[in-house]
Amino acid sequence: MKHILVIAEIFAGMIRPVTWELIAAARRIKTLETSGLIKIITLSDDPLPLADKIAEQTGMDVIGLKIPGCKSYDSDVYKKSLSWLIKNIELSHILAAHTSQGRDYAPGLAIRLKAASIPGVNKIKSDDKGLIYSRSVLSNNQNMILRPVSGIPVVLTIMPGIFKFDAPGNRKKGQVDIFDTPFDFESDSQGRICHKQIIKKTCENQALKKADIIVSAGRGIGEKENLEKAFQFAKCFSSSAVGASRPLVDTGWIGYEHQVGITGAVVAPKLYIACGISGSSQHLAGMKDAQFVISINSNPHAPIFRHSDLCIVEDVLEFIEAFLECRADREC
Amino acid sequence: MNICSFFLDISLEHRYGVSMKILVCIKQINESGDINLFDAHALEEAIRLKQGFDDQEKRDFFSVDVVTVGPLETSEIIKRAFGMGADTGYHIVTNDHGYVFSFETASKLAVVAKMETYDLILTGIMSQDLMAGETGPMLAEIIGFPCVTSVVKTDLASSSYSIEVEQEMENGFLNCLSIKLPAVLTIQAGINTPRYPTLSRMLAAGKKEIITLNQEDLFPGEDEPVRARETLISMEYPDKTRSGYVLEGSLRDKAGELLSILQEKDLA
Repeated sequence: MKHILVIAEIFAGMIRPVTWELIAAARRIKTLETSGLIKIITLSDDPLPLADKIAEQTGMDVIGLKIPGCKSYDSDVYKKSLSWLIKNIELSHILAAHTSQGRDYAPGLAIRLKAASIPGVNKIKSDDKGLIYSRSVLSNNQNMILRPVSGIPVVLTIMPGIFKFDAPGNRKKGQVDIFDTPFDFESDSQGRICHKQIIKKTCENQALKKADIIVSAGRGIGEKENLEKAFQFAKCFSSSAVGASRPLVDTGWIGYEHQVGITGAVVAPKLYIACGISGSSQHLAGMKDAQFVISINSNPHAPIFRHSDLCIVEDVLEFIEAFLECRADREC
Repeated sequence: MNICSFFLDISLEHRYGVSMKILVCIKQINESGDINLFDAHALEEAIRLKQGFDDQEKRDFFSVDVVTVGPLETSEIIKRAFGMGADTGYHIVTNDHGYVFSFETASKLAVVAKMETYDLILTGIMSQDLMAGETGPMLAEIIGFPCVTSVVKTDLASSSYSIEVEQEMENGFLNCLSIKLPAVLTIQAGINTPRYPTLSRMLAAGKKEIITLNQEDLFPGEDEPVRARETLISMEYPDKTRSGYVLEGSLRDKAGELLSILQEKDLA
């Protein structure tokens, strides 16, 4: 019997919520195909509290891998320990999160295991030949449907925000097993990656978090000077703030504190107005919980329109100008 | 001891041996014909590491090679890389015009990566078109180098054979790491602004030779040295997650309708 392995994501000693989504994805796989069990695993120098918590929250069995010296995520430690463990369990699927951690170690783990590898899975389906997986390509404009070759395990990184975990109502805590490993990274002078510290980029934008309405600008705005238009547009609304997509921050047009997306601020305003934003998955993940989404983009095929309540196919600068005029007229 | 060492800062030689060799893996994006944006950031970072020294002897201590995998026309981006300041270009020539799996690309790159003793290998965090982000970490695993993905800052250590980096995490966190060389890093956008190729370098690039390699050169005598572990079934459009009501009419009609909708919702 081949099992489905879920690798819990730990950051700063805490279980990241994406772990529950991985479990939901594993359940989806189990429903569709496999007769094996779902094994949840957590790696740490002190895995018991983490494993206990997962077992309590999910009612599922958890393996804690005790690795001396493993105080925080380290790709070498993860790849080495997981491939050691996996030699002892027969697996069909290995699930990690499509996050900065998962994307860091999963491809290398797949190489070690001679496994197939599918990154950024956003849908799991089956056809007459077995399970197939969807992943986003071409700037989010299309999904590619892939099948891993049979007979080898597959490493999947699961896109956050897709699979929803429903904790069982009357759950009994799952069983926790702590395994010792033959590794000791504490006294390991061979360590190739040395962890110095984790820092946080300056100033999380409280304005973005607090605003009821966010007007966000993307590359469609054209030039740095045109950002002024986005600020003018935002001024039409009370309790508003200006956001931006990553490329604008990367090019230095606007500060990091304005960035909306997975690596910036994750926001949930009453109204989100995307101005000239194409809609990368990293941006969508930062605003998908907005109550109402309006998008303005000159490209009718921009992916953002698939995730909008209201779509306006226009040049964003011309449209804002027309909107401001219209508003001035009505106020007279 | 090599003869050049006389001119060099002793600590450079002490740290890196006779030279510091950087390899940058670049990919051509089909749609634009350009270098993948993230790879351009990687190449820029390599050139900056080399040019971070004032005197020419120290710069000459560094070499920046580029390698790409793709059909014949892909060599265009190597010329562009020469224009940006790359020293040597390798082109692994294939007939693949469609989807190529990361494992296949990484396996081919690994052969070139092992041909020389590279100290540092850089590539983009992902390609703009296929967005897998696997080539760098897979290459690292195949050749046995440590790997750090999503790097937004690099600094060569001043006293040891290692590199200091900042790795971008979610929610504005940065993981500060020191990596023993040789290593593979994948570079995230925002780390730098890639320079445009200069005309003089582009002209000089015409004279530079691109070293081409085919499958037989890479894997002599092997029929199917690398077999993909996934197959592409089909392409689909993504699902809609919201209703997507499209405003119709003239620019002014749309502006007016939006204003009315917002006023109705008591938002404007």
